[in-house]
Amino acid sequence: MIRKLHSTIAASAFALFAAVGTAEAATTVKFWHTFSKTNGEALNKIIASFEAAHPDIHVEAEFVGNYNDLVAKLQAGIPARRTPDAVILEITRYGLFANNNVLTDLTPYFAADPLKDDLYDYAREIGVINGKNYVVPFNSSTPVLYVNKDIFARAGLSADTPLKTFDDVLKAAKTIQDKLGAEGISGIGAPGQFARWGLVMSNDSELIDPKTNKILLDKPNTIEAYQWMASLVSQHKVASPDGVTDEDKGNAMFMAGKVGIDMDSTGSYGGRKKALGDNLLVRPMPCNKVCSVPIGGAGIGIMASSPKEVQDAAYTFVSYAASPEANAAWFAATGYLPINKKSAALPVAVKALESQPGIDVAINSLPYAHGRARATFVTWMRTTEYKVWQSIALGQRKADEALKDFAEQTRKESQRTGN
Amino acid sequence: MLRKLTPYFFVAPLMIFIAVFTYVPILTSLNLSVRQWNFLTPDMPFVGLHNYEELFASAEFWNSLKVTVLFAVLSVPLRLGAALFIASRLIRETLSSRLLRGAFFLPSVTSTVSIAVVFSWVFATDYGMVNAILHLVGLGRPQWLQDPYLALWVLIIVNTWRQLGYDIVIYIAGLQAIPQELYDAAAVDGGQRFHVFRRVTLPLVMPTTYFLLIIAVIEAFQVFTIVNVMTRGGPAGATDMLVNLLYEIGFELFDIGRGSALAVILFVLLVGLALLKSRIIGSKVHYEA
Repeated sequence: MIRKLHSTIAASAFALFAAVGTAEAATTVKFWHTFSKTNGEALNKIIASFEAAHPDIHVEAEFVGNYNDLVAKLQAGIPARRTPDAVILEITRYGLFANNNVLTDLTPYFAADPLKDDLYDYAREIGVINGKNYVVPFNSSTPVLYVNKDIFARAGLSADTPLKTFDDVLKAAKTIQDKLGAEGISGIGAPGQFARWGLVMSNDSELIDPKTNKILLDKPNTIEAYQWMASLVSQHKVASPDGVTDEDKGNAMFMAGKVGIDMDSTGSYGGRKKALGDNLLVRPMPCNKVCSVPIGGAGIGIMASSPKEVQDAAYTFVSYAASPEANAAWFAATGYLPINKKSAALPVAVKALESQPGIDVAINSLPYAHGRARATFVTWMRTTEYKVWQSIALGQRKADEALKDFAEQTRKESQRTGN
Repeated sequence: MLRKLTPYFFVAPLMIFIAVFTYVPILTSLNLSVRQWNFLTPDMPFVGLHNYEELFASAEFWNSLKVTVLFAVLSVPLRLGAALFIASRLIRETLSSRLLRGAFFLPSVTSTVSIAVVFSWVFATDYGMVNAILHLVGLGRPQWLQDPYLALWVLIIVNTWRQLGYDIVIYIAGLQAIPQELYDAAAVDGGQRFHVFRRVTLPLVMPTTYFLLIIAVIEAFQVFTIVNVMTRGGPAGATDMLVNLLYEIGFELFDIGRGSALAVILFVLLVGLALLKSRIIGSKVHYEA
């Protein structure tokens, strides 16, 4: 009996040590990301399928908040040497890290990876600064215009109501506000920063020239676009001021069925579809003077401080995340754009295109989608823009005055950071 | 020898703790405040007082200082006045008093982030509970978090609500320490309720008030979470208090030198205020009846 017990204990101990040995043999890749709820669930599935295919690599994923939070935490973590190995970085803000040699130059990895031929040109381009690859695209997006079909119908608007120009959008928003405002329904959501950038582009302007990094915040067409956006809140009162001081609140109210029109990233399609079901209608962004939308989203970069074997493991994961299988699953679950040419043909993507009307709107806008500036000072500009927008939208400052000051400050910051 | 060293061994852990978590960060901030750094570069060039000059020349700093002082001036008397009034009502050891003390104290132990998120919805203009009630009785929909004046008042209300329980508990302890015979003597002399409060309670509760005043002013100058979650310093800087500005400069604009300079200014300001309070009010505080 005692002998049997000893054998059992010995066998258990051996099994335990063997398990520990196996676990130690796996390379762990710490990965910080910005996806929660619907998008977070989709990412976790991709990680699970990656780990099943690569048992020698363990991805320790951590949700660290939105893009701003992530940049702040990463920056604070660098001197404390508490950084991840791989990190999601928004495409206009990774320049800060690339230019300070914090990110690994992925050019050699990318050159040897067949993935490079599978990516769409727009997706490949967003990972490049000064000819070097610093991030591999993962979640690419453009803004789109979301409509609540039920609210439209109750306001007497058809699903085909023109929403091409600023005037068209304002007219529809006013109709909703007039007819349903008493029920606590707003005509339109105050545009978030990504949508604001898109509306400036559709007014034939830019915030910063992506090729020359010239600051265009005080260009007449930029000012005009901001004036129009602000008028939705302060003059026409078709957008709630709640969305001006808190963008998340604006999004939440659309998903709660309290807003008729809302402009946001195609990456929020999954969550909105879940919330509104068949009442969700997706339309392209307005083409006020021209058709032009910004490409947004993020890519995955690898920290230069990580050991070489961890960087190799991290790249294996990064490459997998952009593979046709992972990208098709990501597209179908979230609405983010396909970045891999082969993903659209896979059954999961085909099914999504057939069964989820509107998921292709962002894809169709790709011919007029453009990359944005990613110089170091863009991070500063985007952080400061929130205050400027609030002051204009809440009627505290005139758009031309506020944007001229803002442009001057941004030029100074650009000089200070050497861009 | 060992006998002489023994007391030092006992205080050593605390001294090390204070040194590591208080003095080292203060000295590090002082050092960083005269350098230019963004967390990323290995070099931290010495820039002298440039960061301080930039701060003193910026409108944001002066706006922030003004807003913080206004917040302290409005919120501290409100907090202490309300706490003293409620404490004087809850001083008796009855079941209802105990229950109410617990209810008032609850926000002090609740997560500040949760409180801020809930109140940001409560005070939302179009979808908030407060405006739903006001609208029902025909009082319109004030833009609580978008109007520069109202937004500051909302923060004062929420902060007072959160801190009130702690102040009440301290005041109750202070009120219970006042000898009953003084009240009996005042009653014999025919003292009216208000006069007893003014001549007996108020002077004898002064040490507690002085303590709470110091704590409340420091907290008012360091308020951050409620501001950052509810308004992020907006609308357009109307609630951008010093610590929120410090966070913005340091962790959103990544100018660690300027952020540290602001931290040093805040430190000097708080030390100066504490000394001033000790000079003006400290001499009027009596610790014995």
